[in-house]
Amino acid sequence: MLQEIWGWQPALYLFLGGMGAGAFIAAAALYLMDKAHLAKSICVSMWAALASLAIGLLLLLSELVFPVRGLMMWQSFSQFGSWMTLGAWGAFCAMAVFFVSALLATPPIAAKLSEKWKFYATLRKVLAIVGICLGLFVAFYTGMLLYSVPGVPLWNTLLLPCLFTVSALDTGVALVEIITVIVTKAAKEEIPERARKVLERAVVVLVVVELVVVAVFVAVMMGADQATSAGATAVLSANQLVSGVLAPYFWGMVIVIGLLLPLVAAAAGLIFKKKSLEVAMCVGALGALIGGCELRFLILSDGLHADYVIDALSHLIS
Amino acid sequence: MTIEGLLTRRSLLKGTAAAGALVAVGAAVTINQEEPALADSEGSAAAGANEQYGFLVDVSRCVACKNCVSACRSGNALPDTYADRRWIEEAEDKAGKTRHLSSSCMHCENPSCMAVCPAGAISKDSAGSVVVDKDRCIGCKYCYQACPFGVPHYNEDGMDKCDTCRGSGVQPGEMPNCVKACKFSALKYGPVSEIKAVEGVTQIDAPGHPSYYLKYPISYSKLDD
Repeated sequence: MLQEIWGWQPALYLFLGGMGAGAFIAAAALYLMDKAHLAKSICVSMWAALASLAIGLLLLLSELVFPVRGLMMWQSFSQFGSWMTLGAWGAFCAMAVFFVSALLATPPIAAKLSEKWKFYATLRKVLAIVGICLGLFVAFYTGMLLYSVPGVPLWNTLLLPCLFTVSALDTGVALVEIITVIVTKAAKEEIPERARKVLERAVVVLVVVELVVVAVFVAVMMGADQATSAGATAVLSANQLVSGVLAPYFWGMVIVIGLLLPLVAAAAGLIFKKKSLEVAMCVGALGALIGGCELRFLILSDGLHADYVIDALSHLIS
Repeated sequence: MTIEGLLTRRSLLKGTAAAGALVAVGAAVTINQEEPALADSEGSAAAGANEQYGFLVDVSRCVACKNCVSACRSGNALPDTYADRRWIEEAEDKAGKTRHLSSSCMHCENPSCMAVCPAGAISKDSAGSVVVDKDRCIGCKYCYQACPFGVPHYNEDGMDKCDTCRGSGVQPGEMPNCVKACKFSALKYGPVSEIKAVEGVTQIDAPGHPSYYLKYPISYSKLDD
């Protein structure tokens, strides 16, 4: 039994939205940490964050019955009690900030403005901080979107927004890692030691936190009260995930490829400190992206509705 | 003799004929006089209600004839591309006998679908019916995910579900087509305050406080004559 009303577009959107938000956060953090290095990597990462969010939103629009109506945001996203509305406007604002940040980071513009405009550095700093806040909101909202539906017990836990936020940061760092390796290789440069360490440490911390959140999430679902409709459905969903039809994808793609592989790669980079381990960094980051994407597909597919009516009827007649 | 009693007896005769005078069905269509005056088939209620209305299904009387389902389709002139707004659920009792339940939108007191709709396309009318404004709906399907019962479905016109026949001109507080079509008095509609007063009713326990109540076991009270 799988959820089929929302197809692949919302699942991919949840991934791209989270990854885009996470990538901007990582790039902006690198910029705030060290303004002298990795300018190109930060610029490309910011454009990639923007593209990721934009593609995700286009995918979401394509899932609508009335996509054109969805574009009229002032009408279609006017009920601010809904997390979809909050997310839509949050993502819209984030895209605006990501766009200006990326534009100001683009080399010809950066070179001109930094010379002629004394507020350039301050503006970039402010945009980086605002973008980080908006990125965190977008990452968190992708989980809140699912959390706020009481019909699906697997989603109706605050652990889900926590999981999606950590995963968004994890996949965002992974995207920045890949971009940084490619851009520095292309320019025949080396990744500054400090930046490499920061990225690898971030991966280790985020993966460990994500593993803990995943474990608690699964444990809470499996430990739900099966005497209730919602509890029984939560257990059913958790069983599908860890030992049922979705288990090979969960253990193989999310846990092993998506979490353990990046953890080993990042730990190896920190322990052995060899430059040749940049390939391992890329492989680990690629694994994180695959796992993060698969996580959204699995959570969405596993979102079963509790059967309150049948349960009430069965209870009544038995 | 009350109007309701007369109408109910008429319903009984129609129902019995339709079921080929089967004993089991005969038992299912017997009339329980202890219930308050909730309108059932052919009954009427005051229009312009200003309170929460809901459905009461007497599971012992529902025989899955699907008259409610077809009356819903025809009464609302639903195109072929529209899914049924009403359907029959079933489960087995202790004796292994299949029991039926006419089900649809629960018209919750605090509808989850309304809370999550980004466009504000879902609202409640004066009788507490949950209705959708098809001109505002963007078809994001968020309401399906939010609904504890997975009721909303989608077609070329956006979201669709039971609106207690508002779209076909039935006014708040008036009987929906499904209730009018029920020959066995299994499906009733009325103010929730009155439904709650019926002996032995159970509210479906789910988020949003559904305005949908069930009644069982079989009540073999005497025929109303």
